[in-house]
Amino acid sequence: MKKRVLATVLATVLMASTVLSGCGSDGQKETNAGSEEPAQEEDTGEGDSTQEDTAETQEEEGEASAASAVSHDEELTLEVYDVASNYQGLQSGWYGKILKDKFNLVLNIIAPQVAGDGEALYQTRTAAGNLGDIVLLDNADMLECVDVGLIADISAEIGNYPNLMKYQEQIEKFNAGIGDGIWAIPTEMNSNGPTAYMAETVSSLPRIPWDFYSELGKPELNNLDDLLNVLKDMQDAHPANEAGDKAYGMTLWKDWDGTSIENVNQLTKWYGQEVNGSVLIGADNSITPLTDKEGAYYKMLKFFFKANQLGIVDPDSATQDWNATCDKMKQKRTYLVWNNWMQGFTNSPEIGEKGANYMGMPLKDMTVFQTSDYYYGSGRVFGIGSQVSDENRARILEFFDWLASPEGLTIQHIGTEGIIYTVNDDGTYTLTEDGYNRFTSEIQIPEDQGGGNWTDGENKINQWIVAGIEMNPVTGETYSSDLWASYLEKNNTKTTKEWREKYGAQNEVEYLKNNGMMEPVPSINMSLAIDTTDIGLIRSQCKTIVCDTSWKAIFAADEAAFDVLWDDMVSQLEGFGWNDLVAFDTEKYQPIIDARKAAQ
Amino acid sequence: MIRKIDKKKWYSFKLFLYVLPFIVLVLLFSYYPLYGWLYAFYDYRPPRPFSEAEFVGLKWFKSLVENPVKVAQLWQVLKNTFVMSGITLGTSWLPMIFAVFLNEIRCVPFRKFVQTVTTLPNFISWVLVYSVAFSLFNSTGMMNTLLMNLGIIKEPVLFLQSADNVWLTQWLWLTWKNLGWAAIMYIAAISSIDDELFQAAKVDGATRMQSIRYITIPSLLPTFFVLLMMNIGNFLSNGMEQYYVFQNAFNKEYIQVLDLYVYNLAMGSGSYSVSVALSMLKSVVSVLLLVGANAVSKFTRGESFL
Repeated sequence: MKKRVLATVLATVLMASTVLSGCGSDGQKETNAGSEEPAQEEDTGEGDSTQEDTAETQEEEGEASAASAVSHDEELTLEVYDVASNYQGLQSGWYGKILKDKFNLVLNIIAPQVAGDGEALYQTRTAAGNLGDIVLLDNADMLECVDVGLIADISAEIGNYPNLMKYQEQIEKFNAGIGDGIWAIPTEMNSNGPTAYMAETVSSLPRIPWDFYSELGKPELNNLDDLLNVLKDMQDAHPANEAGDKAYGMTLWKDWDGTSIENVNQLTKWYGQEVNGSVLIGADNSITPLTDKEGAYYKMLKFFFKANQLGIVDPDSATQDWNATCDKMKQKRTYLVWNNWMQGFTNSPEIGEKGANYMGMPLKDMTVFQTSDYYYGSGRVFGIGSQVSDENRARILEFFDWLASPEGLTIQHIGTEGIIYTVNDDGTYTLTEDGYNRFTSEIQIPEDQGGGNWTDGENKINQWIVAGIEMNPVTGETYSSDLWASYLEKNNTKTTKEWREKYGAQNEVEYLKNNGMMEPVPSINMSLAIDTTDIGLIRSQCKTIVCDTSWKAIFAADEAAFDVLWDDMVSQLEGFGWNDLVAFDTEKYQPIIDARKAAQ
Repeated sequence: MIRKIDKKKWYSFKLFLYVLPFIVLVLLFSYYPLYGWLYAFYDYRPPRPFSEAEFVGLKWFKSLVENPVKVAQLWQVLKNTFVMSGITLGTSWLPMIFAVFLNEIRCVPFRKFVQTVTTLPNFISWVLVYSVAFSLFNSTGMMNTLLMNLGIIKEPVLFLQSADNVWLTQWLWLTWKNLGWAAIMYIAAISSIDDELFQAAKVDGATRMQSIRYITIPSLLPTFFVLLMMNIGNFLSNGMEQYYVFQNAFNKEYIQVLDLYVYNLAMGSGSYSVSVALSMLKSVVSVLLLVGANAVSKFTRGESFL
């Protein structure tokens, strides 16, 4: 009997202690995080010494825990909290192999976009006190995370990394808005100056298959109705792609929605406004509420509604995700795409030679909203988690520096030599056949370089510290292949020639500029006001209402139903404090408007 | 005498030790979480830690009902909850009847087969149920393909996107999943009915229907009422998984039950404080409902459960 009692007591104690210890563990983690900032290396990386030099001196000095003296002996798995990624899991394939071979790094990508409920993932991870080892966040979130000590201050170390220091001006300018220190590294930076716009395409414009458009006799496109009619005629003429899968005039997806539907947000740029939270920022430096009936959000929502009335919206639109949509683009199952990077999925020199590339079609009544190249950064920033040990932080910084180096940038923006590009006699690069087709078909990678296909193995972080339009000092051309001499020549296809003939301009940017349909607004990258709890609550409740209603409105039965939905939405929003939100956002974005006016 | 008391005390202490593990469990998992109610009175917003949050009193409770639009939304959510729970309660006799009829099947292999097939869905998670539903009913799913090939419809019907009959279809999914499982309790109860009763009835010339009506069902009623009472206690917690996986922009208005609303509010938007406030209200209403049901039971049947 005694034995049994003892056993019960022991079991109870054991159980209680396991449960309790389970609860207490993450408290300890937090305590050893923020302490012990390494201030030792102030006297190390001085002068113009390169990375290797400092590495050597470090080794000579012995155990100093400074920037570049990092050992790659142990494999390091880094959690990357990445708001840009469309992939969740371990980085594999050819890019994974490069990181493994070079730095002995494995990236475990956590992608709120893929997780389904991104906001929730962010909230739970930040509440737990560890967002990730490497974090890529929108400016405002970064500000918040720095504020509560989740992000490491790298001001002491960053001076040792020459490739990052090329962008010292931009990095310092951004961090000055946070406080006294360096926490964040902006993305998509360049060194061409704050108002340059180098690309040949604008970020958003109607893009449709040129061959089908030619079949219809290249009708004039004066406004959105003309565009809808053309798409309708295309769908009637080609109800399925060559493989026999059903095709539609347009297909949408829901997983990128924010305060409003992202698909609509992208299209508002056709008519001179950009959606930012609850307000529309105009190319004319105006700020108006999203719910303005004269505004572009209403206009473009109605465009989708009209399209659905014509039967040219994919019925899967409200349920499918981006990956499903992307497959449809690659398989020519949708006849309208808008962002310039989507042409990567629809176009290639061969397709172009057949006259079938998707081409940007300026509508006569448009005024396109386009920001200049992201000189100061794109609005997303990289940071390092404050819980990361000094040693690992050095390895991450070394990795960041490589990401900003000519070698790293070529690999990120183009791919590997031999498979994707070859080096010409004059030192410039030419894409290989596989290189041209890397986004549209499955390129197999040799086993010794990681195996699998190219797309599956590409850089899943999906964001770059330096933009593709930056000059590569090694070649004297941009990193991005779009502006290489060899590429332009090769892309001078039947499609391009016919397009030029019709529009009388070299490319869409030139056409838009010549016809006064676009004036790039200076791109500004600053950290803006963070939501208070009240505004946060209003925003989240309004978000649900705006997104749900927008989707319902697109699929509304008729115009009357559309209007009822819209009006209901507006009155509901008012009840949830929409006006306060608009006032908050108007004030929040005013500094950007001021900065733009100053730069213009 | 002293020895006797000691022995008795020791015996009680021993009994206490036997229940101690369970008391600890209840304290840990049922009472300790109540500490989280504190969040309802603070301005908590991650990533800022709770220790830095500001005390705001009843602000969040008030904000739930501060204007007609918010009240209307809360009302709609409560309506959804009550309707869906109501339908489930109103049809809670189904498993009982199912068990009774199942028990009447004379061919044992067939009976076992039916029982297994109906019990199995209970072990399928809602996510999988949804993926089954999705492949059956999406625009290129089996249902649409079939109807289109038969020439009944020309354009695919978007079943899952429609808000029509969503309460009914959700109830059907729930019943499909739960019926067999819920019947197990009744099958056990039936097997414990004294066989002599049936034999006596047979001798008296009762038909099968008569012995069901006068023997089986009355014997099952106590079990039925206990289960009913427990269901009423859970009236407001009709689960969120099912509605979470089935929700979309088109049906959310009718499918968003209280638990899902709390979840959407907290996880979708970081408004933890508000959702804690809301779930506290839920606990209060649940307790009231249970006490009410108990009183009704006491009054009508002379038995109470609390």
